[in-house]
Amino acid sequence: MRYVVVGLHAAGRSACAYLRRADPAAEIVGVDPAPLPVYARPLISYALAGEMPPEAMTVADDAFFQSLGVTLARERAVALDVGRGLVGLASGREVAFDRLLLACGAGPRPAGVSGPLCHEICFFRGRTDLARVMDRVRPGGVAAVLGGGLVGFKLTMGLLARGMAVHLVVASPRPLALNVDEYVGDWVGRRLADAPGVTLHTSTSVREVEAGTARPLRLRLNTGESLEVDLAAAGKGVIPRIQWLADSGLDLDQGVLADGYLRTADERIYAAGDVAQVPDMVHGDARINAVWPVAVEQGRVAALNMAGVRAAYPGTLAQNAIPVFGSRMISVGAVNPAFTAGAESVVADGPRGSYLKLVFRDDRIIGAVGLDAPPRLGELAFAIRRGLRRRDIPDFWLDNPKNAAPLAAPGGALTGNARLG
Amino acid sequence: MLKKTVIVRPELCVGCMQCMIRCAEAHSQTKALASAIREDILAKPRIHIGVGPEKKPFPNKCRHCEPAPCQEACMPAAIRSDVAEGLKIVDPARCISCGMCAMACPYYVIRFYRDKDAPGHPSVAVKCDGCFERVAAGDVPACVAACKTGALTFEDVNLYLKEGTNRLAHAAYGVRS
Repeated sequence: MRYVVVGLHAAGRSACAYLRRADPAAEIVGVDPAPLPVYARPLISYALAGEMPPEAMTVADDAFFQSLGVTLARERAVALDVGRGLVGLASGREVAFDRLLLACGAGPRPAGVSGPLCHEICFFRGRTDLARVMDRVRPGGVAAVLGGGLVGFKLTMGLLARGMAVHLVVASPRPLALNVDEYVGDWVGRRLADAPGVTLHTSTSVREVEAGTARPLRLRLNTGESLEVDLAAAGKGVIPRIQWLADSGLDLDQGVLADGYLRTADERIYAAGDVAQVPDMVHGDARINAVWPVAVEQGRVAALNMAGVRAAYPGTLAQNAIPVFGSRMISVGAVNPAFTAGAESVVADGPRGSYLKLVFRDDRIIGAVGLDAPPRLGELAFAIRRGLRRRDIPDFWLDNPKNAAPLAAPGGALTGNARLG
Repeated sequence: MLKKTVIVRPELCVGCMQCMIRCAEAHSQTKALASAIREDILAKPRIHIGVGPEKKPFPNKCRHCEPAPCQEACMPAAIRSDVAEGLKIVDPARCISCGMCAMACPYYVIRFYRDKDAPGHPSVAVKCDGCFERVAAGDVPACVAACKTGALTFEDVNLYLKEGTNRLAHAAYGVRS
């Protein structure tokens, strides 16, 4: 049996480990053009902020793949011939597979900006983007960040830490509109507006980039204003790397469509990570939640299924945790009742200054968001997986989320199968 | 291989919190209560007594899951399984305190405290480490040493399960052991 894993980051690395565990004798080939060591891409924001040296981003080196007995092909995969069971590499070499995992991830979504210098906009997705941004960092200078999601937010904080003034340009009425609810979004917006060095532009977008007079770049906004900056960086989401699969015959939408076992339209081919579009646990449609824990989990589940150990994937679930101005912001599942038909929410009584909101639909929990809340969103994520009903959540839990025993404890609300109860 | 682990019987817990105190003591710099309470970075317990239904106490500690959701969520690979067999242990030097592990843990056993072992003593993820150093030295975990009611015991998993089967057999035949 020969397994081929295309992409060796979050999902691919996890898959290699579980393939070896499930099938000690198999041949495993890892295909990835990026030079080793494999690093954790989300950590680039920590490196930008100077909170960790770039080399600390490493999560798997040569020795890791050697110990698993993974043969590395350090090239880009450029073609997939499903009929003959071959992956074509950039050098023209072909690698045959019995089972294939597509874990080739996603690239940055273009910023949607025109103008003569639009190619000067940096992205923030990997090591090369980090180097490009660092090249343009000028302490005392001015930067613009396009996009008010988590990446835009982390970029803003990182550039602030590097001594730059930052214009954060957000198309929505408030930052983090898709990641957290109104309360937390407004709190973050207020903190950003009060932070020295940050200018927050909401409901605004950048139209054009041209050469500036005082500084290298001039950004023309849709409001008619313009900004002169040393550096412009965009965090506008991701686009899965599926162009090379266009003629493969696999079902493609935004990413590679995969089922509840992470299997694609071809039974020998699986997908995991940012390239895989799989049923969402809360919303029901096929989605991409491009976050680290989801990719690692999908890598594991896909590997087990590839090796013949049947493992069902319960569905993808949006989840994020980031430190924000010294507070801990954390979200799981559907966090905005306003965006989900039939959703309602309950705010738990927490310790002073903390905030924890649970979101329900049809009496079942579908999401939660917290700010400095006791770190127990994991229970609620587990509860979402188990379809916990609102009436099953004991009052003592909602009244005292700091000291209540876990829902998943023996005798707790999650010990029976709530879905069948 | 026979493996010992901490077995929790919540129905025997009386909520005295001795385990919490001894856990914090065992993870302090001086390893002695009288001096530990005066350390500049206070050691914190890695076992917690939660309040359950009818205000019943519930001793709650890390289960060292396999596969561990916290470990899958950890971006800098700070949660390691290669320190001691069967244990998931946070490496405070690698932890970036992002909170992803706490978001993934179904049991609410990861908290964030300043740690004496992290360079610069930032707040990092703190959870049960199975007292692997004490166990390697032939001792039992601190919480087990502290527990007077049998709610926490250090036992061989297989023998514990076998004992349960025997109890069931006695119950089935109506014989008191």
